Amino acid sequence: MADEMLLRVSAVSHRFGGLQVLRDVNFDVPAGSLTGLIGPNGAGKSTLFNIIGGFLLPQQGTVRFDGRDVTRDSVLARSRAGLVRTFQTPKVFSKLSVRENLMLGCYRHLASGAAGNMLRSRRSCEEMDLMHTQATDAAQRFGLREVLDRAAGTVPACMQRMVELARACISRPRLLMLDEPSSGLNTAEIAGLRETLARLNQEGMTILLVSHDMSLVEIASRVHVLCFGSIIASGDMAQIKQDERVRQAYLGV
Amino acid sequence: MSPAAARNPTRALLWGLLLLAWVVLPFVSTRHVVDLFVFAGLYTIAGLGVAFLLGQCGIVSLAQSVFYGIGAYSVAWFCAQKGFPSPVGIVAGMTLSAGIAVIVGWPILRLSGHFLALATLALGIIGQVLFLEWDWLTGGTLGIGGIPRIAPFGFAFDTPLRFYFLVWPLAAALIWLHHNLLHSRNGLALRAMRDAPEAAAVLGVDIHQLKVQMFVLSAMLGSFAGSLFAHYVSFVSADSFMIDRAINFLLLAVLGGVYTVWGPVLGALFITILPQWLSRLGDIHAFVFAAALIAAVIFLPEGFAGAIRNRWRAWTGK
Repeated sequence: MADEMLLRVSAVSHRFGGLQVLRDVNFDVPAGSLTGLIGPNGAGKSTLFNIIGGFLLPQQGTVRFDGRDVTRDSVLARSRAGLVRTFQTPKVFSKLSVRENLMLGCYRHLASGAAGNMLRSRRSCEEMDLMHTQATDAAQRFGLREVLDRAAGTVPACMQRMVELARACISRPRLLMLDEPSSGLNTAEIAGLRETLARLNQEGMTILLVSHDMSLVEIASRVHVLCFGSIIASGDMAQIKQDERVRQAYLGV
Repeated sequence: MSPAAARNPTRALLWGLLLLAWVVLPFVSTRHVVDLFVFAGLYTIAGLGVAFLLGQCGIVSLAQSVFYGIGAYSVAWFCAQKGFPSPVGIVAGMTLSAGIAVIVGWPILRLSGHFLALATLALGIIGQVLFLEWDWLTGGTLGIGGIPRIAPFGFAFDTPLRFYFLVWPLAAALIWLHHNLLHSRNGLALRAMRDAPEAAAVLGVDIHQLKVQMFVLSAMLGSFAGSLFAHYVSFVSADSFMIDRAINFLLLAVLGGVYTVWGPVLGALFITILPQWLSRLGDIHAFVFAAALIAAVIFLPEGFAGAIRNRWRAWTGK
């Protein structure tokens, strides 16, 4: 059973000063799944997300990725292991073009050094070609072809989110973690995002989706509900919707 | 000439004219003016390192005078005192500078912003004190003389004119190498980490390692420029490697523009040529130069190169 779990969060607790943000949180993300983590504002989603991503060290508990304890690993080490996240406010490289943003997606799979880069070694040139090709392909898939040569900071917010998502996908993550990917998007854009994520998951990408947007999380095969720092329910969306505690705490019905 | 220039006739013409001016200039100028241009070339090389660090990594370095000094003393010690050929002194200086840059850079490059600037300032001051105090090695203020000229295959670069035709092609080659770096995998990563370090780390960019690498590269450039300087003037003393030299390198980087690789050329020309040209005004020339500096910083926030690039883009509509 343990081997099928790509991510396992065990007994994680965290407190900011007098505020207990996470309380004995346990949940798993099976390999190949699209797992949702939902909860109202202030439930502790972002804190949990930062702990999984390596931006915050939990005061208690462990995070295991692919069977290995990564609780104390740096963001970089987790990235190299294939754990790639996006940010609630999209973090594009604003002065770089959209193309260059996408090109950086494959950075971790390449290895040319500064000296080779300076001398335009064959490897360095081949890598640049590869980065260009992957960026162009991804632009096609994610609807970014029109803005490829614009500075990423100047494209609309919804496109910046797509740039970030496309960039993360190019890096071929083993686990793609999306933090509120629908915030700032309109209904039509959310529908597009839902399709994109479902397609990526069908292609085999494991996705952990953190959102307060129920319409987006509906595509998840398994959903965990976080409320006041604790997981109060887990199951598929139909079960979640029927859960009495969830209805009280989250849906307000 | 770059391939881009070859595709654009206006650009190619401009490059051609610049090249022509560069070739003709020393033959129609006085020896003193050519000497100034040689110094501008040396400062371009050292300043390129500082500009690259500032523009691409956001690192303010006030330590370049130390590496400039190490390069110069290395040549003085190996070539003048021990009789080794010039490449030995140059390579030894660059190696030593790289070593010091790693040892010092590894801890201090975990700092950022003004703390990091202060740490590099401290390094600059330590270097200044050691160059003065270790007179058994550096000759202190009395210096070391008799440094041989660079003379490959018996051709000595022993006049300003000859050195002019050595230093500028070297500077151009180094600018080209940095241009390549900027438009490569690691160059993209540098610019990315400047924009959004957290997102860069998520994509697997080792920010600290990359910063240390660039610090080492910058130190090697400083050392190389210092070695050329020692060969050119054939005498080095601690006065040439005080902290004001580091400030000059930083100044030329900022004035020239740190976001383009050729900005330091303009900055170096500004800080070497303009004060000399203004000196005909008499005692007030220092004030006029200071006013010009302030005006440049206020009106050209991206430096001369940035302003020219923006004008060029507006003109060509790109």
